[in-house]
Amino acid sequence: MTDLKAPVTVPGIVGARSGAGSVLGRISIPIAIVVLVVIGAVTSPSFLTPSNLLNVLNANSTVGLIALGMTFVAVCGGLADLSVPANVAMGGLIALGAQPAVGAVPAAILGLVVATLGGVVNGVLVGYLRINPIIATLGTGSVLLGLSQLVIGGGIVYGSPSAIADFVSGSALGVPIFIWIFVIVALILQPVLSRTAFGRWNLAVGGNYAAAAASAVPVRFTKGMAFVLTGFLSGLCGVLLALSNGQARPIIGTGYEFVAITAVVIGGSSLFGGRGSIIRTVGGVLITALIGNLIILIGFPTQATGLITGAIVLAAVGVDAYFRRKAGRE
Amino acid sequence: MSETTPASALRMTGISKSFPGVKALQDVNLEVRQGEVHAIVGENGAGKSTLMKILSGFYQPDEGEIEVAGEPVGHWTPREAQKRGIGMIYQELNLVPDLTVAENISLGVMPKRGPFVDYKQVTAIAKRVLEELDADIDPGTRLGNLSISQQQLVEIAKVVAKRPSIVVLDEPTSSLGDKETRILFDVIGRMRASGIAIIYISHRLQEVMEIGDRVTVLRDGRHIETRDVAGITPEQMVRLMVGRDLSEMFPKLDLELGEPVLTVNNITRVGQFEDITLEVRANEIVGLAGLVGSGRTEVARAIFGLDPVDSGEIRVKGKLVKIGTPRQGVAAGIALVPEDRKAQGIIPALSVRENFTLPVITRITNALLVLARRERGIVNGLVDRLKVNPPQIERPLNVFSGGNQQKVVLGKWLLSEPTVLILDEPTRGVDVGAKADIHEIIGEFAKAGGGVLMISSELPELLAVCDRIFVLHEGNLVAEIPRARADEESVMRAATGQVAA
Repeated sequence: MTDLKAPVTVPGIVGARSGAGSVLGRISIPIAIVVLVVIGAVTSPSFLTPSNLLNVLNANSTVGLIALGMTFVAVCGGLADLSVPANVAMGGLIALGAQPAVGAVPAAILGLVVATLGGVVNGVLVGYLRINPIIATLGTGSVLLGLSQLVIGGGIVYGSPSAIADFVSGSALGVPIFIWIFVIVALILQPVLSRTAFGRWNLAVGGNYAAAAASAVPVRFTKGMAFVLTGFLSGLCGVLLALSNGQARPIIGTGYEFVAITAVVIGGSSLFGGRGSIIRTVGGVLITALIGNLIILIGFPTQATGLITGAIVLAAVGVDAYFRRKAGRE
Repeated sequence: MSETTPASALRMTGISKSFPGVKALQDVNLEVRQGEVHAIVGENGAGKSTLMKILSGFYQPDEGEIEVAGEPVGHWTPREAQKRGIGMIYQELNLVPDLTVAENISLGVMPKRGPFVDYKQVTAIAKRVLEELDADIDPGTRLGNLSISQQQLVEIAKVVAKRPSIVVLDEPTSSLGDKETRILFDVIGRMRASGIAIIYISHRLQEVMEIGDRVTVLRDGRHIETRDVAGITPEQMVRLMVGRDLSEMFPKLDLELGEPVLTVNNITRVGQFEDITLEVRANEIVGLAGLVGSGRTEVARAIFGLDPVDSGEIRVKGKLVKIGTPRQGVAAGIALVPEDRKAQGIIPALSVRENFTLPVITRITNALLVLARRERGIVNGLVDRLKVNPPQIERPLNVFSGGNQQKVVLGKWLLSEPTVLILDEPTRGVDVGAKADIHEIIGEFAKAGGGVLMISSELPELLAVCDRIFVLHEGNLVAEIPRARADEESVMRAATGQVAA
């Protein structure tokens, strides 16, 4: 009897895989990161320098924010939010465009609010009206992006120097503010997904929607909120980019949805819902960042980045689908 | 020696198999003779399917030996098992509806002439095998046009065409009616007569009595006994399967009934049920009977808030409540254990712990976070009380047997401390032992002052457990039968629309 009561520490994230599979699932991300770092150190002397590593992290922390939100979308069975580029653009354009009228800080907040509202629209369409998330967010994305292009034209919006712009472009303790923001948001969202009732609801809704509904889980609210969160974080990404660049255009977030999805999937959260964690996505962000950096350092043409990350995403989704099917059969 | 014992077709000796955390089989022996029907019985989780998966080469045993026709086997794979003459017939049919009967029978082993399929040969094989089985089926018919029982005959023909020496039938009658079962038994008789060894797995002990020559009982992964069917009764079989007497299975507590806890007045959901009025009192177990499609599940869903009602009112302990969502249902003190466990009861990838606390998770938090220690304490207590086996609360729920999953679904609703517990087919697909446990839990709930509304297709279960039975027919409440007057006949008459009173 005593052996049955032995402490078992496997969290729900590894789903139906066997004991050996779950250990593998937990150590594979650290191993991949170590391998990438070793490859980098061997192939390029400039790789393992503080300035290169900080640069890599800095460049990936804004899109990393979106990946954190996208984790909730994936876990709750919402597949993916394709309206990310539009919400990034909205956040950035408003943060700069509204500066003359209201001042720098209120403009930044306004940018966040508008992008969050974009997320609310997605949340209502997907959560409450139960429209397929891919279709719904593709639609809202092109409406919002089209709207911003219509207003701005092909042009660029410039910001004026401000204290908040200086702050977000700066560093603290030798580490860029962007990285600090990513780390803080990740530290907040990790327990939100793994240790709050809302997080549990996300896992339940993604794991079995009908059963979650029958268990008095607010399924529509949960699914909707995942999109609101992603809208907010997309806006934050856009505001930060615009402030630090001093300019913004409608295309600033192009491709960010895919980078975010890549990080989520590589981290091992399931795009089909029910399984995932923030810590995994942070690992996924690091891996995609390192791969991108290595491609440049090794001297591959940067145009190959899409090819390589695309192939990795397909492989990761394939492995996930394989394990799901296997688990389903047993 | 006037009579020789038939040669052994299969001998499995000392078979053990473990999965992480579970010993599925321990030192199991099975010997099957040529030309016998050897039944294997046991509760869900007793190890029947694991044993059969080892026999068919899908699992490798950790220990033990397999001999087919007296010869030990070497490296054992599904392909090897097929080669050595082992044929498997599962509950679900593995057939292609759009191909012909003959094509299905030869599927996977199509005879060829050059690069092309030799259709003459395909038809000839099908004709011969179907004749052997005395099945009146045209080999050229599209499979999808056949009835389920005819399709099952084709499935058997597909296996017999490979000339097996051992055939395993796993719950073959679960989707068949009485007449079709007869036909299947005739076919099994013919296979037996031709010297094929048959392993027959079924929950239906009457069938085992009728068709089996010998029966092997498994319990908790161990071999309990192998006996001649001629010398055993179904009651004895059940006792061997569960390790206790059947009479303990439906204990009916006589309780003083209390005040009404659930009062449903004239609720209507257009197109599904009309003008339903019923009442459940404290300490009372009320049955809701009716044929499939009579609206009983729909009534339960509406009372809980899964579907809206168009008119009528619901009172809990006399107080009018507004229930439009399950959250409001839970808040009002109502819980529903749904009919379809897989689709609506469990979140398969979440752990036992997470499934248990899902409806009440907001009550186990401080302002922000789930209180992990408190959650584990609550769940461990429930696991003990409900006898969830194995008591490992961090394992994903989908690796547990149906009975244990059902206990978790039931337990998560007990955790919400409802006033009224609605149960829709609470023991469907659950083995005998878990069934008794579940009845005990329901009884305890009623004894503690709760009211139970229970739906079941199994009339003996309702008759044994309920104080009163309401009967639905085509969305209308047609009868209310007190325990004293309730029997199978009175309930069925009402359920089929022949209301006497």
